[in-house]
Amino acid sequence: MSQIKIAVVLLVAILLQLSLRGVWQPLSYIDFPLVVVVYIALQRDAWQALLVGTLAGLIVDAASGGLIGAGGFSKTLTAYIIYFAATRVNLENPLLRIPVLAAGSVLDSAIYVFWHRVLGNPPTVPFVQTMSYKLIATTVVGTLALYMLDALVAERSAQRRQFATRRRVARRSTGPLRRR
Amino acid sequence: MALLVGNLIIMAVDARDPDGRPKMLRIWTQSFASPLQNASSKASGATSGFFQQIWNFRSTAKENEQLKERLSQVENELHAARQAAGENDRLQALLNLKEQTDIKSIPARVIARDPSVWFNTITINRGTSSGVEVNMPVVTAGGIVGRVITVSPWASQVMLITDEKAGAGAVVGQLGQSGALGSVRGRADLGAALVEMRYVSGLEKVEVNDFVMTTGQDGIYPPGLNVGRVVDVKPGTTTQAHQILIQPGAQLDHLEEVAVLLYHPPPRSVPEQTPPQNADRTRR
Repeated sequence: MSQIKIAVVLLVAILLQLSLRGVWQPLSYIDFPLVVVVYIALQRDAWQALLVGTLAGLIVDAASGGLIGAGGFSKTLTAYIIYFAATRVNLENPLLRIPVLAAGSVLDSAIYVFWHRVLGNPPTVPFVQTMSYKLIATTVVGTLALYMLDALVAERSAQRRQFATRRRVARRSTGPLRRR
Repeated sequence: MALLVGNLIIMAVDARDPDGRPKMLRIWTQSFASPLQNASSKASGATSGFFQQIWNFRSTAKENEQLKERLSQVENELHAARQAAGENDRLQALLNLKEQTDIKSIPARVIARDPSVWFNTITINRGTSSGVEVNMPVVTAGGIVGRVITVSPWASQVMLITDEKAGAGAVVGQLGQSGALGSVRGRADLGAALVEMRYVSGLEKVEVNDFVMTTGQDGIYPPGLNVGRVVDVKPGTTTQAHQILIQPGAQLDHLEEVAVLLYHPPPRSVPEQTPPQNADRTRR
């Protein structure tokens, strides 16, 4: 069930990415597929994160003027690094997702542009300026999107929240005063 | 690791330049992406229509229900009529262009813009099935738009003239009368609004508002097409070229309909004499 939900979310993210530039050019700075990739990597599901990263990157590459595979590579590597960090550091706190999203955006842009420069097809826009706009837009919109994804997709986090509430209630009922 | 290596191989294959021939990988991916792009184009059209309607409704919020409904209906009809009239004008202009240039052309609709922020290409709904080939020029009634860089059976990708890698041979003023020849190309810091014209001799007279036309020397665009008009000139000297900025005649930010010119440049003549170095070798 969760796979189907992720597939639907990914499809919506890709469609948004393909269509929003036509509505208003600055909206293209928001990297929706990257937000989904970061979200899945934070769930500590390595295979799903890597596959979603590759798929999302390749589909966007197919419709873009850049090299096919560059987006796939950058998103896959970003997914792996975030997954690696999430398995070693506790990134469950919603506030910690903001720097993770920002770092993901910078990493994705840097790897994407690096491969284009190495393979002789450098992007035509100024790197630092574009990366900064992308970082701001993706982080701001992505933070909100992660909350929405939590509500829509995360069965695990919902279960975790339920367990936490139950545990708190149980502790209250067996507190030091009651024990006496 | 396998996924990363796979992506790297795809990138390396795509980065190879197969001597101007269409890239098979691009054709396949474009064929796969074009239905998605078509769908997203329709979806974005519907979304902007939806928000437009919300906006329209907001402006008539104080009216009573009956009037509001009637007004929104009329506004929708008017909006649709204006869109149709605008489209009609643009297509008429393309038709006039077709009659003026004597070059066969096919109208096309812009179905998508580059989804990444790093590149600035557009995708049109015509491909090899309509006779489109790589390097064919794409124009509007206002001026040149760019050239086709990838074709698939039903869609093509177009590199805009504002791209740094795009170039067009051009002349300031009338072709055949002016000697202010140069090359027009995009520049990263200028964005999509302006292009730069290089190599125009500092001895030639160039002024703001002068028109810039194609010369046909680039082997892509036919001669005599409008490029745009000069908006800024930093005068050169006898040894330095002018620094010229041009505003493209085509409205590249709001492209909806374009025309692909089915133009094949005349073959370049091969020089009859061999270069001196080769001549020496043959003598030996």
